[in-house]
Amino acid sequence: MCGGARSGEGGRVIEVRELTKRYGRTVAVDRLSFVVRPGAVTGFLGPNGAGKSTTMRVLLGLDAASSGEALVNGRRYASLRRPMLEVGALLDAGAVHAGRKAFDHLGWLARGNGIGTRRVAEVLERVGLAGVARKRVGGFSLGMRQRLGIAAALLGDPGVLVFDEPVNGLDPDGVRWIRELMRALAAEGRTVLISSHLMSEMELTADRLVVIGRGRLIADTSVQELADRFGRGVRVRSPRPDELTRVLVTAGGTVESANGTAGGGRVAGSPESGGLVVSGLEAKAIGEHAAAHGIPLYEVTPRNASLEEAYMELTARGAEFGAAS
Amino acid sequence: MIDAVAAEWWKLRSVRSTRWTLSVAGAFVLVLMLVAAQEARIWDGLTAREREDLPLRPLQVMGPWVASLCLAVLGALSATSEYRSGTIATSLIAVPHRGRLVAAKAVVVAAVGLTAGEAVAFASCLGPRLVIGGRSFVDQEGSVLHDLPAFAVEGAAVAVFALLGLALGLLTRSAAGAITAVVLLWHVLPLLVFHLPEPWNARAGSVMLSGLASEISGAGAGESIYGGVLPAPAAAAVMLAYALVPLAAAAFAFTRRDA
Repeated sequence: MCGGARSGEGGRVIEVRELTKRYGRTVAVDRLSFVVRPGAVTGFLGPNGAGKSTTMRVLLGLDAASSGEALVNGRRYASLRRPMLEVGALLDAGAVHAGRKAFDHLGWLARGNGIGTRRVAEVLERVGLAGVARKRVGGFSLGMRQRLGIAAALLGDPGVLVFDEPVNGLDPDGVRWIRELMRALAAEGRTVLISSHLMSEMELTADRLVVIGRGRLIADTSVQELADRFGRGVRVRSPRPDELTRVLVTAGGTVESANGTAGGGRVAGSPESGGLVVSGLEAKAIGEHAAAHGIPLYEVTPRNASLEEAYMELTARGAEFGAAS
Repeated sequence: MIDAVAAEWWKLRSVRSTRWTLSVAGAFVLVLMLVAAQEARIWDGLTAREREDLPLRPLQVMGPWVASLCLAVLGALSATSEYRSGTIATSLIAVPHRGRLVAAKAVVVAAVGLTAGEAVAFASCLGPRLVIGGRSFVDQEGSVLHDLPAFAVEGAAVAVFALLGLALGLLTRSAAGAITAVVLLWHVLPLLVFHLPEPWNARAGSVMLSGLASEISGAGAGESIYGGVLPAPAAAAVMLAYALVPLAAAAFAFTRRDA
């Protein structure tokens, strides 16, 4: 290894402040602000075209911001003298010269940042490519290229890591390998930012989420907070839904029909479907209230928050949520 | 800056196109020696008077002339291959200071161009001379040392072509575009200019890049399509401008656009 903590005085933090990026008349990123801190994996989520890659490109100095700024360790990326010692980045695993050997690809990158060739061998070992170090990259599978890109990001043993869609196109083994690597890097106290358009993946990988849509911030929250806020509740089925609804609302719960139409009290649940979603009351309390009024229950299922649904709802609405935290 | 130059050198030497372009430039010297052997045989059958009309120099300067094209392609590819493969983003992540990245590329391309250019120029001077042996061709009566400075200038012109290729590669971001532009400047434009009405053909022909080396070394345009109206210092300044003006324009564009 090249030594322990390597971050600058700015302290392993990514700060995006009021960032706007326009391409002609298209606004790709619109007054976006968020902070990414060390010791956690932060998922950068949004539908395709939301502005995730653009934000990362501006952060890495590839594209110029129209206004606002994106800083790493308190500085602009382009002002870092040996940037790979502070920030590791993987934007596009396909962006390799097919005729170059894996060792050479990492070799020139390392040389450009004053990193020795021994470190090149180390990172190739860490990502499992030591055996193909002298092979041309053109013959690599997508998974191998992804590993090579991650090896490049790790070269300088940086405190901040930025990955754009690192699991795209990978097989389940590859996905799991990346997930575990990201978690391990965060556990070492590094700042890890991963973009994705898949909430299901981020749910398993990330601790925090920055969700954007149409270039704007939608949510800046922890995975737990989002789970608590959305989709919580208990699914209840009963042959007497109207009566049950009245009882539960009186008890302080909020009741909706399971097929989505809202209702603070009036629910048209037929006995066949009979599904209600109750929030504000635990399964135990619902059972007790029903028993006290002699209402039979066919089903009482605590609903686990589906972050996927929360995400769909967030991005569809496009409104700002929890941005102040 | 040293790190950036070392990285560019590693990049250039680790792709096959570099070996190919340099090999073609080198192999062409062998072709010249074969042609020289043929000329020597022809020379043997000529009368003393006919021998006056068979100089060797046009053959010799074809070495650096072809090397100019090869190295211009190498210079262009050193930029365009990064755009084609997308590694330009990786390069900027490694060396985010854009001026420094262009400068590092220029240093490496110029150094490779100069080394290859001088090697080819000297080999093109000496190889055919060895082949003709003791035959006293009309333009080979001076000593080798007398001839070498002119070939050194021809070799330097190869480095200018290499830098021009790099600049055009950075500007066009396309190998096809850059190489087409190089070929135009290398040979097509001088042919067109040659057909301009007097005296513009000689004037414009005097600032064609491929003919500048002869003007600088005082060898003159002779029977070539190029003009020879510039004094040596002016010709040297024009040659330098061919290397630096496009490069400055490329660096200007490169530092101002998104990668």
